[in-house]
Amino acid sequence: MQSKLSDIALIVKTLAGDQSAYADLVKRHQRFVFTLAMRFTKNREDAEEVAQDCFIKAYRSLASFKQESKFSTWLYSIVYTTAMTSLRKKRVDTTSIDDEDTYIQVANTSSGYDVNDAENRSRSFYLNQAITQLTPDDATIITLFYKGEQSLEEIAQTLGIEANSVKVKLFRARQRLKEKLERNLKHEVNELI
Amino acid sequence: MNIEEKLWDYIDGTCSVEDHEAIDLLLVQDEAFRQKYLELLALNREIAAMEIEEPSMAFTYNVMENIRADYAKPPLKAAIDGRIIKIIGGFFVFTIAALLIFILVNINWSAGTTIAVPTFKMPEIKNLLSGEILKGFLFFDVVLVLFLFDTFLRKKGIAKHA
Repeated sequence: MQSKLSDIALIVKTLAGDQSAYADLVKRHQRFVFTLAMRFTKNREDAEEVAQDCFIKAYRSLASFKQESKFSTWLYSIVYTTAMTSLRKKRVDTTSIDDEDTYIQVANTSSGYDVNDAENRSRSFYLNQAITQLTPDDATIITLFYKGEQSLEEIAQTLGIEANSVKVKLFRARQRLKEKLERNLKHEVNELI
Repeated sequence: MNIEEKLWDYIDGTCSVEDHEAIDLLLVQDEAFRQKYLELLALNREIAAMEIEEPSMAFTYNVMENIRADYAKPPLKAAIDGRIIKIIGGFFVFTIAALLIFILVNINWSAGTTIAVPTFKMPEIKNLLSGEILKGFLFFDVVLVLFLFDTFLRKKGIAKHA
């Protein structure tokens, strides 16, 4: 069962030496941090490693958290930096949003779902599949905006860019997601015919 | 700004009041515009309803284990107590200062111009190492060693229980 204390209260308890308070913080944020890591690594094993690394880094730097922003915003900026570093280490091409058209890293590859499972062949399945085909930047912006309860300003803080740029990037990311979704669905219909 | 961009702003609620009213009007008058809006709205709902990933069951445990392992072996810099360094430093500063004062006090400042080697009286080491002083010094050393040993054992015990 997760603690009902606020993030700040849990941080205060952690800084006072209560490690179980930090375990509660981890439980509270682990799903989203793991999802963000997945957007970069595209596989569960690496994502778990990155996500664990992020929580350990956050624990070490917890005393430097100034509470000027939400804990989640601060944590997500650690996730973004760590995941980017991990990606660079693995020398995976992470082209910027502007030249996304060249990004074909995971097209037609397994996204961790059983494609033969009839239940998975839903629109939701195709949406997840399309997201895994996006660049990490696009997938991250969409995930932060829709699932991270982050405003454009908070996303800007996480990514270290201007809020206006986030708005433009979010628009482009949604456009590309729509295109990928349409392409995947069209491909599926053709296969069935 | 193209139509899609305007519609996304409308859906996100980030457009101005004027734009909002203009889009409201277009949605009533323009069927193609309305269709586009419904299409984007459906996509928006789907993304919002998207499930996020779940890490393995042992995720929190693994994180906390890593943190505990990290703190069980602190780096040498952190392991050395700063107070011990200060006490050692203080002892040396005190010794040097005492020696300097002793020398300055024993200098014959009123000596004339005649070159005479000032007589420098060394303190009697034998007196300092008399039975009582030596015993006291050794007793202090034993207490200090026992205290440090006790501190070491306590820390070891805490690390084991953690």
